[in-house]
Amino acid sequence: MMRGPIPVAVAFLAGIFMVISFFSTNPAIERVSGDFLNWVSIVSGFTILLGVVSIAHANWSKIQRRKEGWPYAVVLRVFRAGMLVSGFSEGVETGTVYDWLFTNLQAPMMTTMFSMLAFFIASAAYRAFRARTLQATLLLVTAIIVMLGRIPVGQAINSNLPDVTNWIMAVPNMAAQRGIIIGAALGAAATALRIILGLERTYMGRG
Amino acid sequence: MCGDTTRYAVTAAVIVALLACPAAAQETESPGSLFNTDRVNALLLMLAFCGAVLYFIRSSQRGKEMYIRPLPGLEAVEDGVGRATEMGRTVLFIPGTGDIDQAETFAGLAVLGKIAKITARYDTPLMVPCLYPMPLAAASEVVREAYTDAGKPDAFKPDMVRYMAGESFGFSAAVNGWMMREKPATNIFLGQFHAESLLMAETGNAAGAIQIAGTAQPEQLPFFIAACDYTLIGEELYAASAYLSKEPKYLGAVKAQDIFKITLTVLILAGALFTTFDAGWAETFRSWFEVH
Amino acid sequence: MSWTAHLTSFDRRWIYLLIALSVILPMFFPVSFPERVTEQTRSVYDAMEALPEGSTIMIPFEIWPSTLPETEPLARAAVRHAFMRNFKIVSLSNIGAGGPSITERVLREEGDAFGKIYGVDYVNLGFKANYLAVLTGMGTSIRSIYPTDHSGTPLDSLPIMQTVDRYDDVQFVFAISDNATIEYWISIVGARFGAKIGAGVTAVMAPKLFAYLDAGQLVGILGGMKGGAEYEKLINRPEWATRGMGAQSLVHLVIIAFIVLGNIGFIASRRNKAAE
Repeated sequence: MMRGPIPVAVAFLAGIFMVISFFSTNPAIERVSGDFLNWVSIVSGFTILLGVVSIAHANWSKIQRRKEGWPYAVVLRVFRAGMLVSGFSEGVETGTVYDWLFTNLQAPMMTTMFSMLAFFIASAAYRAFRARTLQATLLLVTAIIVMLGRIPVGQAINSNLPDVTNWIMAVPNMAAQRGIIIGAALGAAATALRIILGLERTYMGRG
Repeated sequence: MCGDTTRYAVTAAVIVALLACPAAAQETESPGSLFNTDRVNALLLMLAFCGAVLYFIRSSQRGKEMYIRPLPGLEAVEDGVGRATEMGRTVLFIPGTGDIDQAETFAGLAVLGKIAKITARYDTPLMVPCLYPMPLAAASEVVREAYTDAGKPDAFKPDMVRYMAGESFGFSAAVNGWMMREKPATNIFLGQFHAESLLMAETGNAAGAIQIAGTAQPEQLPFFIAACDYTLIGEELYAASAYLSKEPKYLGAVKAQDIFKITLTVLILAGALFTTFDAGWAETFRSWFEVH
Repeated sequence: MSWTAHLTSFDRRWIYLLIALSVILPMFFPVSFPERVTEQTRSVYDAMEALPEGSTIMIPFEIWPSTLPETEPLARAAVRHAFMRNFKIVSLSNIGAGGPSITERVLREEGDAFGKIYGVDYVNLGFKANYLAVLTGMGTSIRSIYPTDHSGTPLDSLPIMQTVDRYDDVQFVFAISDNATIEYWISIVGARFGAKIGAGVTAVMAPKLFAYLDAGQLVGILGGMKGGAEYEKLINRPEWATRGMGAQSLVHLVIIAFIVLGNIGFIASRRNKAAE
């Protein structure tokens, strides 16, 4: 990766320009900032090649050395080739082979992974919500109130539970979230400033 | 130092030139104006914040002592790496599942550099899976540089930093599978995380790893708190590199953040008091902070 | 092993089994409970009801296939309500992987059920890369970003698009999202271009959006399965979300039961230790 002054200068100019575009409604500046954003998309597209090379390298060495589970690496290569060929040959629009593969293979797998959250949150809650201290007890009681308040059974137990739940979400929860967001936003702004000024060069390998 | 001064001067000149532009002052309401005066308040706040960050970085560079509160999660990092070394197992580090345009990813990568130096020193295996290609390239450079700095450039292997999948659930499936097979001793999740946070943290827990996490995404924090041993909350993620490195560029920024947070807290309290006691100019006060 | 130790260290596989049963059983033996409508859901409904018949609204589908079980029911409820009121729907997606297909499927199925015609009553603009540029660009001209619809038909040839070319031309935006794009819809489309925004999001995202609701930057929020069920109740068409709430209720109760059991074991073992 290039590490000289050029990437730092590019980062500086691009960063400063995006800051300027926030404070301007000038069409020319807006157009150029839009172009900058388009370049981001184009550069991102090309960087996918990096990922493909990385995964191909890791998988190939796994197959070559017949490491444990190497047949899965073969499966990965076959399906990756299948998706690539179908995507490049007839596009990715609705009704294409790529779309069919995506809808009927990848989408259900993604949904399955997302649904695993229900199982994992159950086991994590069971383990974590213990009345060890006063704060932990408060957390535990709040969690139970919110869980009950979010389902009709809670309303059947006590008609005020949904209102209490809404209050917990909208007042103490919101206050805490805002505090976290303000602190994190300041941290993000300081990081961005360091990047623009070239003080932060982590992305070039320099801490 | 001279380079820094030049950079600050150029930045200030660009911003001041924009501010001072006479056309800007005249065409306040025009949709095509060079400077949108509706955002003067945002500009002033931004300049104040940037000024504070640069001032405290400079103070720190000149040797002013800056205290940073101990973060238990980070104190556990070295122990975690030591544990992995003793057990002959791997340290897993995930710099978030955000792309390179997210500040949290940078915060994660900054900590990765410090941790990679420790793993290099102890010859502890390190694994860094990445969701997006650009953080992959950056993480590779960070780890390579850390191993070179530690005097062990040959110990760096390109496969340490690996692209798993370009989609978060595919990524978490790959990481979870790897965790269950390899049983890492220590898992460190620092960066931007989304719905996959609990999937990975709970699997790491099942795999028996010591887990340290940190993110600025408020909705993912409860999951990390439930499943990990230590969690860095919000801005603590950004303070992590300052805490580990004690470098002026990080310490100064943390100090400025604190000062600014105190200022914002005072302003919020004032706003709440004005509104509660129905002070006549509460609305005016509020309008100072509206960004259009 | 003592009974207290059993209670505090259930094998997680037992927990998984019970959760699986709690999700599967209500599918075969449906259970339904009366749903109480929250203020944030009613606000979205009221905003839609306040629009005159024949209005044009925008429904972006910013959802990945992974969250469909949670987001599709609320998306369908909103689309149904729009078609019931004879609104015209302009849809798009900034999620390249699956977003346009989901949009197409939901709009076609609901459109067919209400006898609506593609291009006249609804349109799917599809996906364009770089959501920031897309959201900003549509503020001045939708055609500059989407010269054609998802299937390549020029927008100028579609009757629905004859009067629509920017956010000012749509009366309401109901953004369905399972990711951070919702905040850009609020900050760019809502705050910068003045569009009225409602949100349909996953349950875990909803608490974060309360800040925008308080600030008046959002009209209302449908949060996850519950938001969808509440909306189905409001439009008097109980379907997917209402059915899903049976499973969700049971899962919540199972989790609470495990937490209570774990704590009984924990407190008992602490007392035993103190007694020793």
